[in-house]
Amino acid sequence: MKFFLKIFIFVLPLSGAYAEGQKSAGLPQMDISTFPSQLFWLIITFTALYLFIWKFVIPRLSTTIEERKDKISNDINDAENLNSEASKILENYDDKMNSASLESNEIVSSSKATMNEYLDKLKKDNEIKINAMITESEKKIHQQKQQSEQEIKKATIDTIKSIVSKYVESVPSDDEISKKLN
Amino acid sequence: MAADNPIDPIHQFEISKIAEMQIAGIDISFTNSSLFMVFAIAATMTLFILGLSKRSIIPNRMQMLSELSYNFIANMLRDQVGDQGRAYFPFIFSLFMFIFFCNFIGLIPYTFTVTSHLVVTFAFAGLIFLAVTIIGFMKNGLGYLRIFYPSGIPIFLAPLIVPIEIISYLSKPISLSVRLCANMLAGHSILKIFAGFIVMLGFLGFAPLIFLVVLYALETLIAALQAYIFTILTCIYLNDALHPDH
Repeated sequence: MKFFLKIFIFVLPLSGAYAEGQKSAGLPQMDISTFPSQLFWLIITFTALYLFIWKFVIPRLSTTIEERKDKISNDINDAENLNSEASKILENYDDKMNSASLESNEIVSSSKATMNEYLDKLKKDNEIKINAMITESEKKIHQQKQQSEQEIKKATIDTIKSIVSKYVESVPSDDEISKKLN
Repeated sequence: MAADNPIDPIHQFEISKIAEMQIAGIDISFTNSSLFMVFAIAATMTLFILGLSKRSIIPNRMQMLSELSYNFIANMLRDQVGDQGRAYFPFIFSLFMFIFFCNFIGLIPYTFTVTSHLVVTFAFAGLIFLAVTIIGFMKNGLGYLRIFYPSGIPIFLAPLIVPIEIISYLSKPISLSVRLCANMLAGHSILKIFAGFIVMLGFLGFAPLIFLVVLYALETLIAALQAYIFTILTCIYLNDALHPDH
């Protein structure tokens, strides 16, 4: 601004020369006769503006701005409440999901256990049955063996007897034969 | 008169009577200055009446403008003075709007700039100076005199510091009023001079025309800036009165 002030000061005498012959030479700002009028009207207009702003503008503007602030803070509160509610619901859901998965795991493991038990029992039962069958069949085999041994013995004795009777008068008794055979 | 002296840069500041008026022998005629004061408050009132006619939570353009100006000054006052400044808000707000519109209306060619007259700006500055001094003594009693002796200054410097502080305090209204008035006066004179050059140079007038456009943009900035500076300095003086020991 100093630059402009310098130019202004430079121009001032020129303007004074131009203003010569007019009713006031020099700056109109220095014309004291206009001061009362300027001050009077300044007081009137500025007082009017002051009253207008004080009584009309500020109450209305501040209430509007307050209302908006309230509305915004209310909305933010509502949003926060809804948000916390939503997070609660999510937490509940997660809890439920967790407990459900735990439960299902339990069910799976318990059913596995019962299945295994059942299978084990089945296996044992079958083993017992199989063992019984094996022993029985072994017994049978043993019996069969003994029987067949005796039959073979008897048949041998009979065969020997019949062979001997063909060549010898006195036929040895069964006991004598079996004694000899052994 | 303007036709006689097309490049007289001072002509725009002349006060001409529109309606003669006198009270007790004192001339209080309605002049072009008074007319543009009325224009300035009419512009302010129009802005707020339009802006506040349909108040809503979601503002329209005019309401946005009035709320912007309100918040601008309210924030300035809160930052500079704090909550104690609330009582002075209507005055600070009116002051800013008045100076702002006077400066801006003055930028329109063939108008009158109310704030280019020292008596107007000095009336404001003097009122502010008196009010600030009275507020200072009312709020702090004689403790307000501490502003002339800032704390932390060694006592042997007091004979030097205290007169300097008193002079700087007393020169506040002068610097405040002269700053605004001189800015308006100088800026508008330069505009008028360059506008005169355009006429005088005829075809070659495009060169000062370009300069005038740039200068006009600068003057628009200065019009807003000076209103802002005047208002913020008022806030700073008010803060000094309310909190003299910084």
